[in-house]
Amino acid sequence: MSNASLEVASPSFQPQPGAPDNWRRFFTFSTDHKVIGIQYIVVAFVFFLFGGLLAMVMRGELLTPPADLVDRTVYNGLFTMHGTLMLFMWTFPMLNGLANYLVPLMIGARDMAFPRLNAAAFWLVPVFGVILTVSFFVPGGPSQSGWWAYPPVSLQNPSGNLINGQSLWILAVALSGVSSIMGAVNIVTTILRMRAPGMGWFQMPAFCWTVLSAQLIQLIGLPALTAGAVMLLFDLTVGTSFFNPELGGDPVLYQHFFWFYSHPAVYVIILPIFGVFSEVFPVYARKPLFGYPVVAVSSLIITGLSAIVWVHHMFASGTPGWMRMLFMVTTMTISVPTGIKVFAWVATVWGGRLRLTTGMLFALGGLSMFLFAGITGIMLASVPFDIHVNNTYFVVGHFHYVIYGAVVMGFYAAIYHWFPKMTGRMYYEGLGKLHFVLTFIGANLNFLPMHPMGLHGMPRRVASYDPEFAFWNVLASLGGFLLGVSTLPFILNMLSSWSRGPEAGDNPWRAIGLEWLVSSPPPHENFDEIPVVVSGPYGYGSDEPLVANSPAKE
Amino acid sequence: MNRRTIAKLIGLAIAALLLSLWIGQQAYTWMLPQAAAEAILVDNLFSFMTTIGSFIFFGVMGTLIYSMIFQRAPKYDSKDGPPIEGNLKLEIVWTAIPIMLVIWIAGFSYQTYDHMSLLGTMAPRAMGMATAAAAALEEPTAPAQSSIEVSARQWAWEFYYPEQAVRSTELHLPVNERAHLVLTSEDVLHGFFVPAFRVKQDVVPGRAIDFEFTPIREGRYRLRDSEYSGTYFAANQTNVVVESATAYEQWLATAAATPPTSAENVAHEEFRRATDNDTLGWTTVKPAPAPIVNYASSEEDPYE
Amino acid sequence: MSTANLDSTLEAQVAHGAEHEEEDHRMFGFIVFLLSESVIFFSFFVGYIVYKTNVTDWYPAGFEGLEVREPFINTVVLVSSSFVIYIAERYLHKENLWGFRIFWLLTMLMGSYFLFGQAVEWMGLPFGFTDGLFGGTFYLLTGFHGLHVLTGVLLQGIMLGRSFRPNNYAGGEYGVNATSIFWHFVDVIWIILFLLIYIWR
Repeated sequence: MSNASLEVASPSFQPQPGAPDNWRRFFTFSTDHKVIGIQYIVVAFVFFLFGGLLAMVMRGELLTPPADLVDRTVYNGLFTMHGTLMLFMWTFPMLNGLANYLVPLMIGARDMAFPRLNAAAFWLVPVFGVILTVSFFVPGGPSQSGWWAYPPVSLQNPSGNLINGQSLWILAVALSGVSSIMGAVNIVTTILRMRAPGMGWFQMPAFCWTVLSAQLIQLIGLPALTAGAVMLLFDLTVGTSFFNPELGGDPVLYQHFFWFYSHPAVYVIILPIFGVFSEVFPVYARKPLFGYPVVAVSSLIITGLSAIVWVHHMFASGTPGWMRMLFMVTTMTISVPTGIKVFAWVATVWGGRLRLTTGMLFALGGLSMFLFAGITGIMLASVPFDIHVNNTYFVVGHFHYVIYGAVVMGFYAAIYHWFPKMTGRMYYEGLGKLHFVLTFIGANLNFLPMHPMGLHGMPRRVASYDPEFAFWNVLASLGGFLLGVSTLPFILNMLSSWSRGPEAGDNPWRAIGLEWLVSSPPPHENFDEIPVVVSGPYGYGSDEPLVANSPAKE
Repeated sequence: MNRRTIAKLIGLAIAALLLSLWIGQQAYTWMLPQAAAEAILVDNLFSFMTTIGSFIFFGVMGTLIYSMIFQRAPKYDSKDGPPIEGNLKLEIVWTAIPIMLVIWIAGFSYQTYDHMSLLGTMAPRAMGMATAAAAALEEPTAPAQSSIEVSARQWAWEFYYPEQAVRSTELHLPVNERAHLVLTSEDVLHGFFVPAFRVKQDVVPGRAIDFEFTPIREGRYRLRDSEYSGTYFAANQTNVVVESATAYEQWLATAAATPPTSAENVAHEEFRRATDNDTLGWTTVKPAPAPIVNYASSEEDPYE
Repeated sequence: MSTANLDSTLEAQVAHGAEHEEEDHRMFGFIVFLLSESVIFFSFFVGYIVYKTNVTDWYPAGFEGLEVREPFINTVVLVSSSFVIYIAERYLHKENLWGFRIFWLLTMLMGSYFLFGQAVEWMGLPFGFTDGLFGGTFYLLTGFHGLHVLTGVLLQGIMLGRSFRPNNYAGGEYGVNATSIFWHFVDVIWIILFLLIYIWR
């Protein structure tokens, strides 16, 4: 351990292993969690655009009542693949990307516990992405049974081929599960065992708590989906009778297998975004996260409760009355730990010294839309009301408020917040604010009209509809097109800022966190010296240092 | 907190409450006409939840917007805010109040569900915003006649009245009488959904599901397939006619005397046209032939 | 000792400690993975239970019930092999390589016997995978489990091969320990499976 110090040349001319100048690095089997994180995010975003394009066509079809833009089979393939791509190719990989990039830095580790497993898990993503894309081109087209793939529709296979859109879909989803479980084992091990000295549970940033909670759900829930998918695949390919009513099987049992995972899956999606909000609000309000210990623990409570609410997707499926009532109560209960977080964020912001940067705007916008979604969510938990709006556009409006309103906007908040750290450059604030305005207006315009549509009884997944729904659909479609346009300033901003934005420095936001103690971008092994943590994570307004040593040279 | 602040907060809370109550009343106008006793119950529940939801929404959004406007850091200010890490009393309050609200909403919902299941022939009539409290908790009466058999398929609805041996693609029901249906599917999952009644039940192949409700308002209403059932799912719609007992009996008698013919069927028509013009998309399950019925519905018929 | 020597000894100790830590990570991660994997089996078990308790014609036409004697023998062999693999591990821990190899090989033979017995049973059954819900769930459960037994035997084979490499265990015995835990896991799953399918009527 020599004490000789290296003369560090001016950062902008000294090649850093983490710097983005070497773009080829992103096409390799790199085991650096920072590279893998960016790989995940970029691949996911490409599929976000692809899934969004499908949505544009759908909204084009829905501009007018009759099914006159595309054939019905095409529309059904579109909505199926839109949902499938958005979930399995956008949200899960994107969130794994954020977690991958940030968690080791935030806990003071040099990398994930299993760097090669990490890379392997990532490289599976393009594989099943290709499978899903290829499914558009096989005879019979892609899966047209919705992203739930309910039998018997998913077993009908009108083309009669063994290799059809549905079996490719099942294969892709199974591979996605393998990749996710690999990632979950990695992240859980990392968070449980590789925190820096001094970082006890309540010195760990809330983002890490939420990521841990989310990955625990993946570990417990995904295998149930795998089991159901395996049985569905056998029904489809070799003619077993698990879910086929003609052979004595039970199609409703599939729904139980499916939703036992897929409900908790939505908490896998939202929890890390909760974590992003918890990280962003303190920085731009210059105030500690209000009630941080409770906010942290509520993440695990949500994980626990998430396992016992799944039947609320099946209130109209022929479930017995006692089951409906039981799951109504558990579903409503989950609003309590969630509400605690919402109120905590408001209390964090209240009385602070706010800076409405793009990241903060997206976080605030995301919080507002999540609030609305949470309220419609409680309504949906109520069985008699849900029976009326189940499978209508009311539900579609609700979950898009969560997925677009909270998750996508939370993603944007995260990117604008950590872009300087990841790239060493600052993005253009004006373009960022334009992006926010277009997104916020577009999302509300697209998804708010879905609520009256649903109340009036317009079913979801329809290529055509009765004329009385036209007005709301036109509004929604306009919003949809606006959302498509809104991605343009973002893409422009990212590309131009990454290549020629002004230098950002180590900590442009004067934020408190281990990741802000190292250079932007961080060096290959993150920390020259593993930090020794001596205080809690959100010390705004106080003079306590975060660490006892200096984890970065100079 | 000083007294002026408390007074201001109470004032704001009252204003929010009044606004929420008003919106709760507006909620009734966001729904279709209440054509069944169930609709009154569901609408009351929806109005109640909308009121509570609005109050929470205004409270939280109001706080955030106030903060966003009035609590911004001055332009060149780089100071931190106050190092407030929590407030035990406040946190207990915002845990306890949601728990109580959840219990309240769950209780109201349970009651509503209970009433819907037990609603007998003494169903309250539609009076706009009439409460459902008048509904007596009577045991459901045994059906006076055998149930109407509802058969769902890809892609048509067929209704069979066994006592009169009448087949129809339009569901006719006598007003103010409990309707008893038996739902079956010939192929895949479907959903029996009449928005004006606020009732819905998935139709599961391999099962015969008993389903009942009480229509209370004469008129013609839309019936839609609500559980995705394949290519022509969106076209799998028909109408429900609620009419006086006399009109109903007359309809049944006329239908019984009419020889069965092929009904209008959107799915079948579209498929045939696409096959003729060679404009089919990807391979699809072929629609079942149009139902052969004594009485056929028409897509031209107006409904509410 | 010169400072350079002291430094290198300390570094060696730190490195060794770091390796141990890495080994602990891998075992932890592997156990986390096994817990997750067990949920697939539990899901299949739930499916089996739901079908069995709800279906009227459970057995295929003409079928009276499963023969229990041979599967019971297979069970005894498999469960005993858990003890055998444990003994093998103890030998390795005491650095008795040949003792390890003999008992390890014995485990592999017992595992292979189990697979053989399973195949014999399958071939003698009058129903197939697509014969109703009983046929489907029976072959799904025993097949998925058998796949895991096969994986276990293959892993054991790899570990056996590696035991001939010089200095194979300088960095610890993670591979052997993990394979052994996997084997116990496969065993426990089988016990539940056996009770569900063969004992519960």
